[in-house]
Amino acid sequence: MRKTWNFHGGVHPLENKTQSNQLPIVVMPAPKQLVLPLSQHMGKAGKAVVKPGDYVFKGQLIASAQGFVSANIHAPSSGYVSALEERTLPHQSALSGPCIVIDTDGKDQWGDLNPTIDPKLLSKSDLLYLIQAAGITGMGGAGFPGAVKLQPKSSIHTLIINAAECEPYITADDRLMREYADQIISGIQLVQQLLDQPQCLIGIEDNKPEAIAALNHALNQHMNIEVCVIETKYPSGGEKQLIEILTGQQVPNEGIPADIGIVCQNVGTVKAVFDAIVLGQPLITRITTVTGKAAVNAGNYEVLIGTKVADVLAFAKVDLIKTSRLVMGGPMMGFTIQDTQTPIIKSSNCILAAADLELATVADHHSCIRCGLCEVACPAELLPQQLFWFAKAEEFEKAQDHNLSDCIECGACAWVCPSQIPLVQYYRYAKGRIKALNNETQLAELSRMRFETREQRLVDEKSAKEEKRKLRATAAAAAQAAKRAANPTSADPIAAALARVNKRKQEQQTATTPKSPEEVYKELKTAAAITRTKLNKTSKALTDAKAQDHEQAAGLQETVIALTTKAAVAQAKLHAYETKLGLDPEKEKILQVSVAKANGTIRQLEKILATAADPKRIEADILNAKATHEAATQALADHQTNLTKKPTSAQES
Amino acid sequence: MALVNLSSPHHHSLNKTSRLMVWVLLATLPGLAVQSYFYGYGTLINLLWASFLALGFEAIVLGLRRRPIMPYLTDGSALVTAFLIALALPPFSPWWLTLVAVLFSIIFAKHLYGGLGNNPFNPAMVGYALCLIAFPVSMTQWAGTEATLTFGQQWQWFWLESVTGGIDSWTRATPLDLMRRTNGLTLTEVASSNPQLGLGLVASMWINLAYLLGGLILLAARVFTWHAPVAMLAGLGFCAGLFHMGEPDLYPSASQHLLTGATMLSAFFIVTDPVSGATSRKGKLVFGVGVGILVFIIRSFGSYPDAFAFAILLMNLSAPLIDTYTQPKAYGHQPKKSRSQGEE
Repeated sequence: MRKTWNFHGGVHPLENKTQSNQLPIVVMPAPKQLVLPLSQHMGKAGKAVVKPGDYVFKGQLIASAQGFVSANIHAPSSGYVSALEERTLPHQSALSGPCIVIDTDGKDQWGDLNPTIDPKLLSKSDLLYLIQAAGITGMGGAGFPGAVKLQPKSSIHTLIINAAECEPYITADDRLMREYADQIISGIQLVQQLLDQPQCLIGIEDNKPEAIAALNHALNQHMNIEVCVIETKYPSGGEKQLIEILTGQQVPNEGIPADIGIVCQNVGTVKAVFDAIVLGQPLITRITTVTGKAAVNAGNYEVLIGTKVADVLAFAKVDLIKTSRLVMGGPMMGFTIQDTQTPIIKSSNCILAAADLELATVADHHSCIRCGLCEVACPAELLPQQLFWFAKAEEFEKAQDHNLSDCIECGACAWVCPSQIPLVQYYRYAKGRIKALNNETQLAELSRMRFETREQRLVDEKSAKEEKRKLRATAAAAAQAAKRAANPTSADPIAAALARVNKRKQEQQTATTPKSPEEVYKELKTAAAITRTKLNKTSKALTDAKAQDHEQAAGLQETVIALTTKAAVAQAKLHAYETKLGLDPEKEKILQVSVAKANGTIRQLEKILATAADPKRIEADILNAKATHEAATQALADHQTNLTKKPTSAQES
Repeated sequence: MALVNLSSPHHHSLNKTSRLMVWVLLATLPGLAVQSYFYGYGTLINLLWASFLALGFEAIVLGLRRRPIMPYLTDGSALVTAFLIALALPPFSPWWLTLVAVLFSIIFAKHLYGGLGNNPFNPAMVGYALCLIAFPVSMTQWAGTEATLTFGQQWQWFWLESVTGGIDSWTRATPLDLMRRTNGLTLTEVASSNPQLGLGLVASMWINLAYLLGGLILLAARVFTWHAPVAMLAGLGFCAGLFHMGEPDLYPSASQHLLTGATMLSAFFIVTDPVSGATSRKGKLVFGVGVGILVFIIRSFGSYPDAFAFAILLMNLSAPLIDTYTQPKAYGHQPKKSRSQGEE
């Protein structure tokens, strides 16, 4: 016999397995309705590929995996998809989540199946594909998508099959091994084929002699598979614990078994691998133990995934009146459910319908006396009593320092605690809080980084601008210097320019050619307009400055006053000149408007003419309008001629 | 029936604090019997008195603290404290001495720190140490083994502190005392000149063996692990053996140290107190060795007849520090590298 090791701690709760392991597995017929949560596994939820009203065959894909850590979901029976909606999920929180609801038609009609006749010929990628396509997830409890573990980065020397089933009450794997030993062995061989033929160790507790015999019977000499019988001790079925028992090695913390060349799969999972590859059937059923004092027909049932707990309970003749606590999973790590409409999912290995007083009752717990029994029991080699104090005092840093994250929540500590402290609950609380705090810290860190980056960017932009400006300035200075260097004889260029300007001014003043009255008029008009614009701008600036309480408001105020006088003067000058010329700018404007109006009328009429019913009348109208236009144009022209005539006389006077 | 919503695990061993305490109480009985056989009814009277007081004080304080009285009273922790005080006090303790010790233990050392589970010091040892400092004469009135008081005499002494012939004619120095104050004689000379020593050693050997038996019962019942008591006995035995080898005329042998005074009582009933001791198993080893060494040092070089109360209180003080440095390696973690590697 192979040498086995011992893991630290562990407890021996009453096994309570005989209630359910005496009878063969009973196949439960398809219920009326199936509820399939899109997330039945660790990782990302699947995405529904059917819609309400669709007809689905048994085994048809109804939700596809999203990403690497995810799993496909198939219709467990034929029927119509009746809804895609939120339903209660099998979880302690009793939260609801998206589910596909199928109303079965009772025909239980398979879709196309693709069994493999000789799986030995399949390549590794084919095997992986088939396992992935069948939506296989870990059947032991955690429900980790099966294909993920089967494509390790490092080479695997040992495949461990977890058949320990250490939780009290549960016998699903026990019965499975007794009745499907051959399929399990074939499934193991397929997984070995996939992992380059590692040795395989089946870890099974010594409280299942029939299952051990069945497995040994199914084995033959040539197989690289060994059944390793281990002491019955909870939690020997914990992945890390089983690895230590069978190999003496510990999985490094924060590592995975593959890091030390080991892959661990549940015995139910390898059976599912067999079904998927050899029979071509996806994972749509599982063996679930129904047990507890309230169950009349306690035993193991092959149920379709998605069957409601209520249906399973009814089928196993569970007396709901007698049931005070419904536990999904085992009594050590399972969770209570209150809604019997909750469905069975791929990882639901047990429903424990406990009668009053069957399980530990809620007692007011006493103070921790640090007796240390929990430390003796802890399979993760932690100090549960210290973790309890830290969790209670919210000293999360210390809790982490004492490796809270290595706690597997097996419940051994709480089981032995003489003060009956619900230790696991404290650890879950602390873990949740640590997670939340870490998220908060991360968010804060992110926003701090974002803020700092922005500040830095602004500073950089500013300095870059400054740099550019400096560069331009030096370039300009250099150009200037070069210019001066090129023309060293000339005097100071600015002085020269000034001299030129002055000279021109003088020339202008002495120039004899008088400006035409139109020119003078134009100049005055421009001057008035410029001053007006300046005034407008400055007053606007003033109001802004005042609104912002800017220090330059006073200066602006003065400018505005000065500009107002200036504008008034310019306007007065213009007006005086206009009177002098006898101009009437208002009249000119009016005339211009009438010309434009007449023009507009013509255009409009012409447009109408194109589609008009009585073109003749319109044409007449157009003629009229044209006449008006002509008259207006004439009037404007007359006015403007006046303008050109009059100034001459004015100048003479 | 309404379905309850509870956190796992849903199973429990049905182990209870009171069960542990009852085991401890029962395990003291052999020692109590042998002690009473050699020293008379004093310890028994004291035990009943101390129990009565402890339960009374516990109830009063719980009432004042507005805690449920019955659940805490029945956890047995007050009784354990009372038993330990009564067993540790000399058989000739008058009523008030026990009262002071129990009052201080229960109210000050235990409840003022927050009650069971929160006390940094072992309550019984705090009460005992207080009396040792405050009433040294009363605390050293140890009985002789050759003739014990009748129940009536003991009862009278207990309440009135008077006894026919005066208490001095009944008290005897303990073996530890005799071996410590040798007045310049070697231990063999003391033994030959004073028959008291031989008688006392025999009596305390039997008493210690009885406590050892009680301790082994508790170990078998898994009330505590072997680490702290074995470490304490090893620490004490090693030091005693070492010094005895060097100066056999001055230092009693290891076996004499291990089987006199309150060695076994403290090793199995006081050092194992989980509340005030170190937490991890490695820590318990350190804690135990510390107590053992301190007991030897105080017995050999200190001015008190026995040393366990101070030794344990001193180690209680260091327990948090020990905890910090003896955190066990969790599953899958690498063993911490020894510091010497970097400091060479």
